[in-house]
Order: sequence, then structure tokens, then C-alpha cells
Amino acid sequence: MLEKAAMVRSYLVRQPWGLWWMQGWRLTRIEVRRNLFSWKASWIYFLAFIPTFIIFIHLVVETHPSIAMADDTNILAGIVQFYYLRLGVFFGCLGIFSRLIRGEMIERSLHYYLLSPVRREVLLLAKFAAGSFSALLLFGSAIIADFALMYAGYGAAGRDFIFNGPGLGQLQAYLSIVILACLGYGAVFLLLSMIFRNPTPAAMLVLGWEAINPVLPSLLQKISVASYLRHLMPVNVPGEGIFALLTVQTEPVSGWAAALGLLLLIGAVLSYSCYRIRTLEIRYTTE
Amino acid sequence: MSVYKHDYRAYTGKVTPLWARVLVLARYGWMDAWSSKITVGLFTFSLLPLIVFMIGIYLANNPIARALIMKGGQEGLAINARYFMIVLQFQSWAALALTSWVAPRLITFDLADDALPILLSHPISRFGYVFGKFIALFASLSLVTWVPCLLLFAYQGYSSTQPWAAGNLRIAAGLVVGAVIWITFLSILGLALSSWVKWRVLATGIIFAAVFVPSGVGGIVSAILHTKWGSLLNLPVMMSLLWQRLLGAPDFFWTEATLPTSAIVAMLVLACAIFAAMLNARIRAREVVRG
Repeated sequence: MLEKAAMVRSYLVRQPWGLWWMQGWRLTRIEVRRNLFSWKASWIYFLAFIPTFIIFIHLVVETHPSIAMADDTNILAGIVQFYYLRLGVFFGCLGIFSRLIRGEMIERSLHYYLLSPVRREVLLLAKFAAGSFSALLLFGSAIIADFALMYAGYGAAGRDFIFNGPGLGQLQAYLSIVILACLGYGAVFLLLSMIFRNPTPAAMLVLGWEAINPVLPSLLQKISVASYLRHLMPVNVPGEGIFALLTVQTEPVSGWAAALGLLLLIGAVLSYSCYRIRTLEIRYTTE
Repeated sequence: MSVYKHDYRAYTGKVTPLWARVLVLARYGWMDAWSSKITVGLFTFSLLPLIVFMIGIYLANNPIARALIMKGGQEGLAINARYFMIVLQFQSWAALALTSWVAPRLITFDLADDALPILLSHPISRFGYVFGKFIALFASLSLVTWVPCLLLFAYQGYSSTQPWAAGNLRIAAGLVVGAVIWITFLSILGLALSSWVKWRVLATGIIFAAVFVPSGVGGIVSAILHTKWGSLLNLPVMMSLLWQRLLGAPDFFWTEATLPTSAIVAMLVLACAIFAAMLNARIRAREVVRG
């Protein structure tokens, strides 16, 4: 047993980690530039910052009596739960991560990467890192801006809520949720873009699955990104109408268990993606 | 052998009438759309709810079957405007899925392969080109919306022991008008967005996003600015209200989100005008060469 462990260790030590790190770093830089600083990426800025713009109008136009702070806290929770998780981050990640592999195939440029002396796993993980960085930067900064603008109008009461009350904890929870959502959806969409020529129909099935997830039995609820994230919400906003009646309440799960569950899901999806990319073939004529 | 008298001579044979040229594009568009197995699969999938609704009508009108299956209970099985509104909603969202697949197939290939200058060099106008594609998409969507809805209506009229159809003609008219408004909107939206996105993969996603993301934004506007007008960005809510009024169905779940019909119609017309402007800007016989 010890002998095997030593063999594995010596095998791992012999690998060119420095070279892989350098290759991955350079690939990531190229992809981040393409994801963030191109005209084609402008719609992702729209997805991320449109709630910020509306909250800014709210800050400028409306008065902010202290009594309304609880309402605004619930509204912010609703924005994160219903807009960012179900729409903004979902469609943003679909655009960013589908483009990483499938977009290069459509542009007929992926073969340049595949012909260069870079391990395919390094290529895939670098692209995933670049997509994750772009999504996290955009949606993370949007969440921070939303939070700041939402409480800026309350003056001293708002500062007290943030620094002496539960405000900072809520911001931390929202950021954790967005980070996990970007990584989770990103890993899923990266895999879908390798499996399907058009990953969008499959992504729409994922969207439908996530939407009906709360009304499914608790066992099926575990096969979903949103179900893990729901447990991390600092303020839970229940669904309305018939959806609220059909919602199946599951046992509360601790934050670390939900985060660990989602990280395991991401790890499994990425491992399978690494396995898939080993045998990836390009037929540009069929794209 | 000498070559002479090969001057240009105009074609003197029978010319296709101007109005019929559009139908050529529509025919090819139709064939292109239905050549995909996924289109056929989506169409089949979208007809599955109709089987359930048909069974519902059968049970509602057959006392023996009702006695056997539902122990004579009739709750939830009243075949009325509300029932047909649920049918229309199901079919309309199936039409959205079909649009997201078919619309990019109709237009993206022409743009991505720079085929538009060749197509428009034929005796057909830009409007004719778009209208031909529109007909192909509209006809495809009709097969999953108002056509099966009317068939269900006819089945209910046939199955009912009481004279039913004549007294409920408003439901039939509402089904046709509501579905036609929706698929006209979807067709223009699908063609406009597909013309602006070169990649079919992206176009499919953007059609869905164009329906659902404004809904979320509308929800945020309504919640933060304490106004009901945010619902004007919420296409599912707007269309549900419009269908409900067209069919004469009772209020649904969102009683607080009522909007005047004129505002809904104005919003739909405005959106269609924007999509038409997008098509006008994009559908041109030109080739962009970057280098």
C-alpha cells in the first residue's frame, strides 16, 4: 500500500507542473481578454448590471425611510434568487462557457490549440478558469454594486445594518452563491458544448429542470445546482401562486455541506470533461 | 465556327407572378426547417400535452368513464374558457421552443455563408425575402398552436352531450386570435434575432433569453420602483393577460399584475417595430470583408 502511494507520489513529482502552469496561465489570459474586452461580450455586461441600473434609479428617485429597509432586503434577496441565479448567471454562463470550445469550433480555430504541444486537459482547465474568472468578475462586482446601492440611500441606518448588523454576512453569502453558481453552471455548459453541436436545447432542459426543481421529490432536488444554492441563501424568498403550493420543503442543509456537495458536482463534471476532451474530434464541415 | 448574334435577349417565357415568388422562398424555408430530425422531435413532443387534454375532454363528456376512473367526481374537469386557456399556454410555450430551433435555421445559414447577395440578386425584394421566411416559420408554428387548439375545440363540440360549440364560439375566436398574435410576434422576434447573430448555437439561446430575461428585469422594476408597469417587460404575464381577455377566462394567479389591454398591444407593436428595424438593418445585399 505504502509502496503504491510512493509510486503515485513519484509519478506526480515527475510531471512538468511548471510548464503546465505557464501554459495554462497564458491560455487563460488570452481567453479572459476575449471574454471581457470584445464588443461581442457587451450583452453579458447588460445581463450583469441591469439590476444595478434599476437599483440606482431607485436610489436617486425614491425616499428611503428606515422602515423600508426590511422590504429592500427581501427585494435584494429576490433579485439574487430569481434574477441572478435563474436568468442572469444562467444565460451569462451559457454564453461564456459555450463559446470556449464550441465557439472556437464554429470559428474554425480550435485546431490551432489542439495542434500545439499543450495537454488537452490543460487547455480545457485553462479555458474553464478563464470563463470562471470573467463570469465571477462581472457577476461578483454586480452583486457588490447592487448591495452598496441598495443600502446607500439609508445613510447611517444603512451603514449600521452593513457593519454592525447582518449586512456583511448577507453580502458574503450572496457572493458565495454567485461564485458557486458561476462555477457550477460553467462546468455543466462547458461539458454540454463538447457533447452537443448545439448545446442550447440541452441548456434549456437544464433551465426547465432547475425551474421545476422545488416541486420535485427531495431526492431529485439533489441533482440540481440551484437546490444546493437555495440552502445558502441568507434570506429565503418563497415562490408565489401555485408554485408556492407545489413546493416540496426539504430538510435544511448546512452551508458547508451544500457548498461541498456543489463542489463535488463541479469536480465530477470537470473530470468527465477532461476525459471527453482526450477523444475530441473536429469535423469543420459539419459545424 | 464563327460566333455572332449572341446579344442579350430578355427572357420571353412565362414569368412567375410577383406575389408567388415569395412562396418559393417559403417552400424552401419550410423544407429546410423540417429536414431536421430535431424539428420533427420538437413537433412530436409539443403534441404530447394535447393527448392529455384530449383525455380530459373525453372524461368530462363520458359519464361511464368518469364513474370508473374518477368515481363520478367532476372537480377540475369543467371544459370551459379556463381549460382552453391552459391548452393555449402549453402550446404557445412549445411554439417558443420550436421557434428557437427553426428560426436560426431559416436565416442564419444565409448570413453566415454570405448567400444573401446571391439570393437578393434574384428578382425578389428584401421584404419578399423576409416575408417568405416569415411564412415558413408562421406555418410551422401554426401546426403546434391554433390548429391543434381548434381541433380540440371541435372535439369538445362533438363529444359534448349538450349543444356546446355554438354557445362558446368566443373561445374558438380567442384561441385563433391569441395564437396568431403570439406566433406572429415569435416569428418576427426569431427572424430578427437570428439575423443579428451569426452563430446558430447562440441564436437559439438568445431567442430564449429575449423572452425570459426581460421578464426578470420587469419583475425587478415592479418590485423596486413599486409600479405595475414593470410587467410590460414580462412577456409571459402580458400574453397570459391578453389570452385570458380574448378567451373570456377568469382571473389567473397574478391579480395584482393587471395591465390595460391597450398598453399590452402597444408594447407588442413597439417590440415588433424594433424587430422590423433590426431586420431592415441586417437583411441587405452586402458582404463584409474584414482583413
